[in-house]
Amino acid sequence: MAMSFFDQFASSSCMGVPLIAIAIALPWVMYPTSTSRWINNRLITIQGWFINRFTNQLMLPLSMGGHKWALLLASLMVFLITINMIGLLPYTFTPTTQLSLNMGFAVPLWLATVIIGMRNQPTVALGHLLPEGTPIPLIPVLIIIETISLFIRPLALGVRLTANLTAGHLLIQLIATAVFVLLPMMPTVAIITAAILFLLTLLEVAVAMIQAYVFVLLLSLYLQENV
Amino acid sequence: MPTSPVKTRIPLTSFGHLITEVKRQLFKNDATPPTELTGWRTYFNSYTLKGRRNFVLATYSVLALAAGVYTLRRHKKEEHETTSAAT
Repeated sequence: MAMSFFDQFASSSCMGVPLIAIAIALPWVMYPTSTSRWINNRLITIQGWFINRFTNQLMLPLSMGGHKWALLLASLMVFLITINMIGLLPYTFTPTTQLSLNMGFAVPLWLATVIIGMRNQPTVALGHLLPEGTPIPLIPVLIIIETISLFIRPLALGVRLTANLTAGHLLIQLIATAVFVLLPMMPTVAIITAAILFLLTLLEVAVAMIQAYVFVLLLSLYLQENV
Repeated sequence: MPTSPVKTRIPLTSFGHLITEVKRQLFKNDATPPTELTGWRTYFNSYTLKGRRNFVLATYSVLALAAGVYTLRRHKKEEHETTSAAT
């Protein structure tokens, strides 16, 4: 069977059981949990320090009502960053390349921020749809534009993560294939291509972490407007 | 490294709000109304929060009304075509 470059994104199944479920559950089993000891070991301490620092930074601009989202946003960040990083290993499947998964995160969380805004402060939430000082002839157009941008947000959130990760994985596979094909024919060019592949892999590691952070940061910004 | 001249955290999620915040901080344009708000401008203006809310609600109401009228007219037209085809 001829392999295509998109086979790496196909969600495989074993005896009818979709393996994406195992891929999604993997971060949960990877991280050690705090013990009942007074002082934990170094690994758990570093892990706790990172999560505390990240959560502190994320919650800074949010009011007290938004702090209820600390657990959700911190766990989402750890989940996304783990899945993205594991997906960079060879022969692994990256669940965040599936648009369904990313939209499954983006749409409910975005909708929750909108509903919270409409419920707790409807005047402010509706007032946000029209920038201050808009000239009167432009008001209806701007309201429609701002409404469209409001509804585009979950789509952009999901597609941004999907597209970045998919494009990165595809590039890595393309350049790796080029290295293998060029190696017997033009070894020098293959070595240069391998160097490019190495740099690209470093870039993809950065993109994996940044995209997870951007996803969570944007959600916190949407929450900041509404809480 | 050069830092941004805009001091506070700008809500980056909307281009309109970004423009408003930049105008306020860089050009000291606080979007104060040119004259006192009287008459209908008390309730419909783009300076106060309630004025903006009322404009948004009015725009949505007009759009919903237009959609409703269009749907009803299309429904009546289809019914009229059906009855004239039957006779």
